[in-house]
Amino acid sequence: MGYRRIVNILLKEWQFLFTDFGNTLLVTLLPVLVIGQLILYIWLAVNFAGESAINISIFQNALANLQRATPEVALLSGTEQFQVLLLSQYNFFMLVVPVMISVSVVTFSILDEKLSGSLEALLATPVKTWELLLGKALAGAIPALIVTWICSGIFLGIVAAMGWGYLLDMVMTPVWFISLFLFSPAVIILSFLLGVIGSSRAKDAKGAQNLVVVIILPVLALIVIQITGIIWFTAVSALILAFVIVLVDYFVLRIAVRLFQRESIVVRWR
Amino acid sequence: MSIISVHNLSKKFGDITAVDDLNLEVKKGEVLGFLGPNGAGKTTTIRMLAGIIAPTSGYAEIAGQRTDGNIERLHEVIGLLTETPALYDRLTAERNLKYFAGFYPIVGITPQVEKYLRLMGLWERRKNRAGTFSKGMKQRLALARALLHEPQVLFLDEPTSGLDPEAAQEVREMVKNLSSQGRTIFLSTHNLTEAEQLCHRIAVIRTKLLVLDTSENLRNRFFRQEVNIRLENPSITIINAVKRLDFVDDVEEKDNRLIVRLTEPDKNHPELVKEIVDAGGRILGVSEAEHHLEEIYLKLIREEKENGI
Repeated sequence: MGYRRIVNILLKEWQFLFTDFGNTLLVTLLPVLVIGQLILYIWLAVNFAGESAINISIFQNALANLQRATPEVALLSGTEQFQVLLLSQYNFFMLVVPVMISVSVVTFSILDEKLSGSLEALLATPVKTWELLLGKALAGAIPALIVTWICSGIFLGIVAAMGWGYLLDMVMTPVWFISLFLFSPAVIILSFLLGVIGSSRAKDAKGAQNLVVVIILPVLALIVIQITGIIWFTAVSALILAFVIVLVDYFVLRIAVRLFQRESIVVRWR
Repeated sequence: MSIISVHNLSKKFGDITAVDDLNLEVKKGEVLGFLGPNGAGKTTTIRMLAGIIAPTSGYAEIAGQRTDGNIERLHEVIGLLTETPALYDRLTAERNLKYFAGFYPIVGITPQVEKYLRLMGLWERRKNRAGTFSKGMKQRLALARALLHEPQVLFLDEPTSGLDPEAAQEVREMVKNLSSQGRTIFLSTHNLTEAEQLCHRIAVIRTKLLVLDTSENLRNRFFRQEVNIRLENPSITIINAVKRLDFVDDVEEKDNRLIVRLTEPDKNHPELVKEIVDAGGRILGVSEAEHHLEEIYLKLIREEKENGI
């Protein structure tokens, strides 16, 4: 019965989600904008900054870190090294997409139920709270993950089409795959859980979605600390980071589960 | 045989007691009116009985399922109509019902959904979004949703609140139909006329249960029975003649009417009429004074407030 109920929730959530213009636009247009933006930055940097970019002090530490992690980068020209440096930020830059999608879906879904009162009617059915939570989580996580993975494919395709394909071996390191298959799901779960917490307190979707900032800022911080050479994520440090995010997920999950109890929802959610 | 048994049910939110030591029984097929002012604990009681919130102490047994037992099973035997219709406005009427039906072990969801859409007169509008419905239609759709799994007990939390008179009447008719089919209904309402029309028994709550009885018994309990006698020529002679009768508790004259309070009205009517005629009175009409549930309710709440102070 659990499986049937979860699928029931999932299908309804998707029907609900994709009949809303704003959400459909978010799932389809946001990834295009993010990829386009990143490609544009790289193109501008390569064509206008070129060779001189590697002399900018802020990037020198990062390039040194990159060369330590991937020694063959040292054999490339200055412009190419700069390109690899920028392309390597895709992993973290792209995390914005699943975070946005996941938070938007969950806040949209839970707030609508909360404001219309349908959550109380739902809680009077035999559905278990974990089934409800999981159904809603999957409703946001599945499109977010699929979109993230598709975007990565598109990104690689565009990079190859722009004649930069020979650099991809140096970009698609283990960190790339750790980010895609560990970071992304872990960050999506975190986004979902924070979305649940936000929705339980917020009075409207806008208030709840402000939480996006709480997740996106640390994600963007990862890019900043990597590109300024403070740290370079190797496979080991990326795995440690993924483990930390999973740990944070666990603690946030405990808070979210406590909030997402029948009694809390009908009595305390205002 | 009781289908709902409530045993010492209490609920506290911090220091505030919302429901205090509630005990009541509801028979199978009975419609119980659950009355009380705002904040009296009606919705909290319904939420506890529906297994949505846990009591601080006590428990209830509904159709063999305890509120402190298997909640999933409890939810299979109850249907709940919440204070607001709480529908998914962007989904069609049919999709709303199918979604909820998906949580119950219903064999044949489609025919079951059709049955209730037809019963509630919404079959023709099944493909329309719930958001396009009038308040009355939304409430009927919400009622259909509460009935989809054929619950043995139906909890209705102020089903006509916020509806216009016509829509409220439609919902009342639906409740009457369900009652005639032998459903057990626990009806929380502010509308006393509605309670009088629909309910077999009335419970009045203000944190504690104040009374539980039929409206007829409540009337007899709270008001001495009165007879209104309209006279062409009321006079002091007639009033004194009536006062002298043993079974008369009190007499009052008002606008050519004598309001006579009797010990046993059914027995005493003929003798009373004879005495008035013998005293020269010309009777234009005799009627029993009616006390509405509202008067009983207000009296109860007022007394309770005074006692509380």
